[in-house]
Amino acid sequence: MNKKKNKSQITMPVIAASYIGPSLMPNRDALWEEHELPLNADALVNEVMGQPMRRAGRFIKMVACGGLSCLQSVSLNYLKGKKTGIFLATGLGNVDEIMPFITEVFKHGGGFPSPNQFANSVSNAAAFVLARICEVTGTVLTISQEELSFEVALWMAQSYLESDQIELALVGGCDIFTPTVEEYRERMNLSCANSRRMPMGEGSSWLLLGKDEEKNIGDILTVDFGDKTDTLEEKLNIKNILSDFIPLNSVTSGKGRIVLPGFRMNKNVLELWQQKGWEIEDYLPCCGIHSTAAAFGIARTFREKSNTLFVHYNCQVSGRQSLVLGSTK
Amino acid sequence: MTNTDVYVRGWGAVTSLGWNSPEAARNLIAGNVTPAAVGVSSHLTSREFKAFEVSYLGNPLDKSMTMLEHSLQEAFLKAQLSEDEIAESSVLVGTTGGLFIRNEYEFTRAVRENPDKESPAISCRNRGPGEVADLIVQKYGIRGMALTFSMACVSSSHALVVAADLLQRGKIRRAIVVGFEPLLNMTLHGFASLLLFDYDQCRPFCLNRAGMQIGEASAVVILDNDKASSFGYKFTGGYQYNDIKSMTSAGIDGVTVSEVVGQTLKSAQVNTGDVVAVKAHGTGTRDNDLSEGRGLVKLFGNKLPPVVSLKGAVGHTLGAAGAVETALWLSCCEEGFIPRSFGFSEIDPEIGFAPSQINLPARDGAYLFTYFGFGGTCTSYLMIKE
Repeated sequence: MNKKKNKSQITMPVIAASYIGPSLMPNRDALWEEHELPLNADALVNEVMGQPMRRAGRFIKMVACGGLSCLQSVSLNYLKGKKTGIFLATGLGNVDEIMPFITEVFKHGGGFPSPNQFANSVSNAAAFVLARICEVTGTVLTISQEELSFEVALWMAQSYLESDQIELALVGGCDIFTPTVEEYRERMNLSCANSRRMPMGEGSSWLLLGKDEEKNIGDILTVDFGDKTDTLEEKLNIKNILSDFIPLNSVTSGKGRIVLPGFRMNKNVLELWQQKGWEIEDYLPCCGIHSTAAAFGIARTFREKSNTLFVHYNCQVSGRQSLVLGSTK
Repeated sequence: MTNTDVYVRGWGAVTSLGWNSPEAARNLIAGNVTPAAVGVSSHLTSREFKAFEVSYLGNPLDKSMTMLEHSLQEAFLKAQLSEDEIAESSVLVGTTGGLFIRNEYEFTRAVRENPDKESPAISCRNRGPGEVADLIVQKYGIRGMALTFSMACVSSSHALVVAADLLQRGKIRRAIVVGFEPLLNMTLHGFASLLLFDYDQCRPFCLNRAGMQIGEASAVVILDNDKASSFGYKFTGGYQYNDIKSMTSAGIDGVTVSEVVGQTLKSAQVNTGDVVAVKAHGTGTRDNDLSEGRGLVKLFGNKLPPVVSLKGAVGHTLGAAGAVETALWLSCCEEGFIPRSFGFSEIDPEIGFAPSQINLPARDGAYLFTYFGFGGTCTSYLMIKE
């Protein structure tokens, strides 16, 4: 991996984490079926928000519920008086609002595009809703990339935390299931050759980052990006990864080691990690493939795995790789 | 942590005023500005919307890709970047529509080719807005970070501020900031549905304004820390703010705008009296111009510098506006002038000033840039002409 550029420099303490997958049960690995998706989000909204969000589409509901679920363990008041940034990562954004709107625009004989749908389809509407709920007025960024967007959002958050522009960062990844499965796969540029064969899914998973020794549930140790010119041997040189990124100290020594494979990671690469003594923790069966599935895998690890050193590893179709190293308490 | 100044090393733009930024600047300064007209691109389904359309002989998808490529090439050439320098850069794209033009073009072409069939529902087969950054990364072998901001009208202005911030702290080597916004049915109908569309003319800050008109454009601004190879424009005071009071307005009392701009001046250590001119957002909608106009008056008082909106000349280029208006402004400065504001005829007493109506000499000093977008997003920054 690229050891000099694009590597974050500081450890990010994790204060809270939460994950919501296709079953729409916060922080639970519940069963779900691809062909039944998407499930109605109203029950989730009522549970998390305590009231309906009648004018919002599913994407906005998922973002709001995911972000608030994460904050439940510390309460909304925890943010008061602290400079907080919101970093929302999404691959496909609020396509659930765009599709019906554009269908009306192109309807044979003329349709009736809804202004509410258009307003909700604007890419940063979801971040606005979450920011308003949390009363965050500073840095609120919507990072929309089809792949590795959660990793990029983490990298951005780390950069802002490092510069002391913010004290807390609420970083999340959200993508929603939109029928049909075939079109969803096409939008994500998935094929047998470039991705693992898994059901499609969705999720809204979040981390609250910032310094708080009392509430610290672990750390993001580094977020690193490499390009396709890095060789397989380089990217899997675990010894180097450890020595470069994870100094063996009280935080990292004696911990279990797991790899969280992203949806582009192929079987051969997985075997190489295993040969190096890392256990595979496959989170994708719990959330299905979606652009920001990494957020689900990482948030779930912080909640479910104690005393563990983990690596989330994924790459893009283009070959760009990303590696997130973390440690749980 | 490093803290280094950030300079503009190059830029390029394709707008309705021309296929490169010097041509557009010369047209602006000479007053060769064609008002928005009914769109002629083959993918447009309605002829009731006027827009600032880039002229091109060919299909709209090819046009969009050519616009992107032209703006990149112009900026790379101006910045005199080698292939290695391009590759070690990071790409920050601001766009709302991304390559959605492909859906619209392919769908309308299919309908035209099957005139006897009832058209099916349009399929949404494009990927996310990040496709544009991916395309650039792959074509130019870029090894730096690739980030896409899809944040309505501040997409590329936020990208500029974030890029400068990352450069100041040594997190990236160089930033290629791209604003890309082809003309889409989706946005034309969308703003019309919100009753924010002026069917006649875009009239920023004018009493008779009735809304915005959309322009299509692609622009690139290259930022880095190397003053020696720059054009002497320092980027500073970048500030982004999230107004949670309203999704659609920055507050018509002007308080938010005044505070945002004030924060920019404060962080850049620039006094109000040192601002040579304001490149305002100036969309021509009632609320934007009222909140921005009042905010500027609140901050500058009776020493308001010349205020210019470029949207009367190139339209609202949405997510591309930050990069587009920066590139055009800098090209005008290189020509020696600050352009006048187009589309104005009568002072709105609720705003209380007229935007600049004559070309002014582009003297050295601080130029203020403001952008206010849907979702409570606000950006402002300064370009110091040294």
